[in-house]
Amino acid sequence: MEGLAMLRQLIGQLQDLLHLYGSPPPPLPPSSPFHLLHLHQLPHPFHDHHRRWCFPNINDTSAEDYYSLVMAAGKSGNCKMLEPFKPPPSKRSRKERNRGKLPGSTPASEVMDQEIWKEFPEDLFEAVIARLPIATFFRFRSVCRKWNSLLESQSFSHHCAEIPLANPWFYTITHENMNVGAMYDPSTKKWHHPTISFLPAKMIALPVASVGGLVCFLDIGHRNFYVCNPLTQSFKELPARSVKVWSRVAVGMTLNGNSTNEGYKILWVGCDGEYEVYESVKNSWSRPGSMPSNIKLPLSLNFRSQAISIDSTLYFMQSDPEGIVSYNMVSGVWKQFIIPAPIHLSDHTLAECEGRIMLVGLLTKNAATCVCIWELQKMTLLWKEVDRMPNIWCLEFYGKHVRMSCLGNKGLFMLSLRSRQMNRLVTYNVMSREWMKVPGCVLPRGRKRQWIACGTAFYPCLTATA
Amino acid sequence: MGSTSTKIKLRTSDQKVFEVEKAVAVHVIHVHSVSGDILSKILDYCKKHVNSAAGKEDISPEELYEWDANFVKVDQNTLFDLILAANCLKIESLLDLTCQTEIRTTFNIKNDYTIEAEEAVRRENKWAFDMLGV
Repeated sequence: MEGLAMLRQLIGQLQDLLHLYGSPPPPLPPSSPFHLLHLHQLPHPFHDHHRRWCFPNINDTSAEDYYSLVMAAGKSGNCKMLEPFKPPPSKRSRKERNRGKLPGSTPASEVMDQEIWKEFPEDLFEAVIARLPIATFFRFRSVCRKWNSLLESQSFSHHCAEIPLANPWFYTITHENMNVGAMYDPSTKKWHHPTISFLPAKMIALPVASVGGLVCFLDIGHRNFYVCNPLTQSFKELPARSVKVWSRVAVGMTLNGNSTNEGYKILWVGCDGEYEVYESVKNSWSRPGSMPSNIKLPLSLNFRSQAISIDSTLYFMQSDPEGIVSYNMVSGVWKQFIIPAPIHLSDHTLAECEGRIMLVGLLTKNAATCVCIWELQKMTLLWKEVDRMPNIWCLEFYGKHVRMSCLGNKGLFMLSLRSRQMNRLVTYNVMSREWMKVPGCVLPRGRKRQWIACGTAFYPCLTATA
Repeated sequence: MGSTSTKIKLRTSDQKVFEVEKAVAVHVIHVHSVSGDILSKILDYCKKHVNSAAGKEDISPEELYEWDANFVKVDQNTLFDLILAANCLKIESLLDLTCQTEIRTTFNIKNDYTIEAEEAVRRENKWAFDMLGV
């Protein structure tokens, strides 16, 4: 059957192309919300890292349908199914190629032919939409009710869980408006201001930990915990703790499995060695035991540093003795590590990247201040400097008194550097070793840059539920 | 020269010149990549929406919704050009309208929202792609 041969050829072509574009595709312009359209434009293939196309097995009886589909497309004049997968013809002018399309002069092959795309398999929609940028997903919710309710779909949740983690987003609180969050997306370099606030008005809750797309908040006044998915506002107030602790606590959060579907745990620990663990599956707090005698009390926890979690273990920074205290959520074991801090260090915080324990802090020597990154050498339990902020950026702070706070410490670090009149926001990507400036946070229709008080990184997950 | 009668000149890729009131063209515009036909349609859209919002034209939300629905009843090539131009000119509401129509048409999806429901969904989710929220 000639049609079948054509189909086989097409599938072969597609598979070749997918192998060709095995590396991450070049970034699509952020203002283009329309990644679905780009399916048929090369060399900008699918904006994802995980191209799993379900190719029909054309040896089974469903081949008849695809045969007639191809024939129908062929009858309509030009077989558009084959054409879109060719690389763009080289005779297009450089201006066109660089700028994309010129409206008003669209070649026919650029438009998606309804003849073909209305047959798009239903089950593939969810796979495709799960891989779109977050902002695009929210835009598409107004297409039809089904697409709006994807967040409640189990299968959609599975698709989302399969996608490898991209860059984290950052949930921050601004000085000007402490009960509404400002979220930063480093891939599009845009700030977002969700309009719905899940907290009662006037309540100030600070983000203290996050895992699997959920952020844990601790309210200053009442010592209550809240868990929320900042993207969907799925939110839960945790039951009251069984121990009334009025002093400061450090908080950490871990997943039971690979996603929030299997539940999560939250730990708080105080300097006197009191601690409790919340289990989301049971929706209750428990006290798995008391601090073992080998841990020196009181714990001088460094509250300015955020905790990190690697697999099921939480790590907290402590100041005296300098080092790290860790807790394994599965075994319930506490450990203490003595690690001397680098000299002239201030405003430091623990961080992590791909299971490596890191440290970010300010190094001030004479009048010069610089942001430095260290990695923990596990064999020697010593910090080793691995990178520092470019000199030219550090010059801005020369001679000034600078404070730094960490707004995100997972893989992509976000730092807020403040001197008396200045607030600079930067990100540092551990894998690529890139330092980037963060655009100022401005409210929609506002002009004034907001001052960021605190924040935490979170991996955006549409289907994480509190 | 009051602000309501300030006019702006726009020149398109095919050298046509349009004169519009400033209220209608609120952003800095680069129109060298948009053709005359498309720009003329877009200006119709903007005028209609600005006039209805300012109360200059007596039109109910349902009538405006219907006007929009007719506005996008064009061939796919034109629709595609409108999308690109709306994206380039940063006209959020037109971009929403054309993109949704394109998706629904291409994948043969029925719009099962009422006007109010669709407005509500759009408002709820606007924060994620509000271009003015930098």
